[in-house]
Amino acid sequence: MSGKYEPATALGRVVNGFEETFIAVILGLMTAITFANVVIRYVFNSAAGQWVERTFSIDLPGSLIWGLELTSALFAWLVLFGMSYAVKVTAHLGVDAIINLLPHRGRRMLALIAAACCLAYGFLLMKGAWDYWAPFGGFEQTGGRWFPEGFIKTRDQGWYETEQIPMPDWLRFVEPIFNQGEHYEKLPRFIPYLMLPIGCALLMFRFIQATWELIAGKREGLIVSHEAEDAIEDVRHMNYEE
Amino acid sequence: MEVVLLFVMVVGLMLIGVPIAISLGLSSTLFLLWFSDTSLASIAQTLYQAMEGHSTLLAIPFFILASTFMSTGGVARRIIRFSIACVGHLPGGLAIAGVFACMLFAALSGSSPATVVAIGSIVIAAMRQVGYSRDFAAGVICNAGTLGILIPPSIVMVVYASATDVSVGRMFLAGVFPGLLAGGMLMATILIWAIWKNLPKGEWLGWGEIAESFADAFWGLMLIVIIMVGLYGIPGVMGAIFTPTEAAAVASVWAFFVATFIYRDMGPLAREGGNLSLLRKPVALVTAFFHRDTKATLFEAGKLTVTLMFIIANALILKHVLTDEQIPQQIAAAMLDAGFGKIVFLIIVNVILLIGGQFMEPSGLILIVAPLVFPIALSLGVDPIHLGIIMVVNMEIGMITPPVGLNLFVTSGVAGMSMMRVVKAALPFLAVLFVFLIIVTYVPVLSTWLPTKVMGPEVIVK
Repeated sequence: MSGKYEPATALGRVVNGFEETFIAVILGLMTAITFANVVIRYVFNSAAGQWVERTFSIDLPGSLIWGLELTSALFAWLVLFGMSYAVKVTAHLGVDAIINLLPHRGRRMLALIAAACCLAYGFLLMKGAWDYWAPFGGFEQTGGRWFPEGFIKTRDQGWYETEQIPMPDWLRFVEPIFNQGEHYEKLPRFIPYLMLPIGCALLMFRFIQATWELIAGKREGLIVSHEAEDAIEDVRHMNYEE
Repeated sequence: MEVVLLFVMVVGLMLIGVPIAISLGLSSTLFLLWFSDTSLASIAQTLYQAMEGHSTLLAIPFFILASTFMSTGGVARRIIRFSIACVGHLPGGLAIAGVFACMLFAALSGSSPATVVAIGSIVIAAMRQVGYSRDFAAGVICNAGTLGILIPPSIVMVVYASATDVSVGRMFLAGVFPGLLAGGMLMATILIWAIWKNLPKGEWLGWGEIAESFADAFWGLMLIVIIMVGLYGIPGVMGAIFTPTEAAAVASVWAFFVATFIYRDMGPLAREGGNLSLLRKPVALVTAFFHRDTKATLFEAGKLTVTLMFIIANALILKHVLTDEQIPQQIAAAMLDAGFGKIVFLIIVNVILLIGGQFMEPSGLILIVAPLVFPIALSLGVDPIHLGIIMVVNMEIGMITPPVGLNLFVTSGVAGMSMMRVVKAALPFLAVLFVFLIIVTYVPVLSTWLPTKVMGPEVIVK
């Protein structure tokens, strides 16, 4: 059902390139940080590391204390950012055993119902994501249990910091905006959490787009039955007879 | 009982073609909004915490990355060559070598479909060339490919460990003997069948070929050594070096290094017909990190991580519902009141997983079923590690049970056969795996001996 994704327009190519690079870079960073932490722990703390410290009278770090926390946050970024991309290229896994038995019309009907479910999910999650992030960013949560019914007074939690991740200096410009000019010791929480509302908004956008494509007949469904579909395409020639 | 409604909704949505993750997430969200005071904000938090708050699950992207680097054709080809050198001369040699190659590849990757694609595409073509029927070839690979989730490292085991708070290291060790037994049983079956049906055998290529092909495959196979030594140390010499997450990260860096600088099937040193030596292009040491092959591999692994973790994160929302409502405790009480013993319980677990495993991605299913059955298992005196292995083996069989096992789909795609033909072809070996399931279920010592031996007796909390 999927096939390789080909962007149609110039803008589409730019966006697609950005999405793919972003996913690759985050995973690369996660790997690099975790690997570096292992190296630092064993090499810098070894006899050789101590010799270097003594000889050049420098102090090598014993470990990246913020490594695990940053990697975990990047992990969240990877998935929250990537979930909308996976909608775009139809990579989300699903069960197609039943829908494949149906005639074209029935399949289309079910696909539209499924899209409506996805939209409902996207909508609820978007409200939840905003409500969760808003206090950390100093904004107001939305009222109402199911639907946002105006904003309600919310305690500003912009001062809330991560446990260990250091605050880079080039980010200091956020201090007057989010922390009343107060100095951040560590990276404030609203920055890693920011991907939650952004990711959910993107997810909602891709769901709307996918629904539109379904209605316009440019798309068959929302799911792929297993993760290896693309890989099978690549090896198809080896065992097929003309 | 509202919870029945919840499960009906999850399954119903899944069957009409809603993505698995969203079926889980939407049903649980609606349930929480209707029947509890949980707010949407805390559901969003659960989703975020699925990644940020579970340091065990953090191993998953790295294992996927290592296996993606290893899946570049070169490693699979070298493993197959080594397998043929070892067992190719037996009756049915190529088929046995196929199983052996699947076992080795399973030790490099944590996923069954990936194993079928990487090994199956090459071995099925080779088997047909020397006169095996396409059906026999597909049946062998379809079954042997399921070993991917049983032989460590295994993503499904990481998920089980995270769901039940048992140690990942123990789970990996527990998979070793069952994995060897399953592979051995498949190979023995093929051997007997081959002698009876007089299937083709290859030539004995001599010890030289074994040594040479091993030397060639060595760098890829070192990955297993790195993970195992890193996690458990060398008994009597040194202790453990890494956490499972670190082991996975080191493994993926190693896999990158091997694929780019040693095998040179990808990256700046890869050329059509004869790869470049690093000495001729030393700048590759820098450019390799930015090469488009490296980026493409990172991206592929990232994409797979996203789809898998999106399911897992949403399954965690469902798990949140189950724990809130104390469902596992209720079911456990009901089962104990009804006087069900250990055996009936294990049979029920088998049946649930066999049915569920056909429809659902194994990690998501484990995450839902494990918290349900875990407390019951503990009160019935089933060992948590043993339960984990039973669940994994059930998943394996679910993947090749008609009508909709996942591995059947993948094999039918790889071998170019209809589903029905693959189902028929896989059936005789499926019977072997069923016998294996019974052995694993009722001989707990098979799973628990090695982890107890290496890591000491386990302490069961709760």
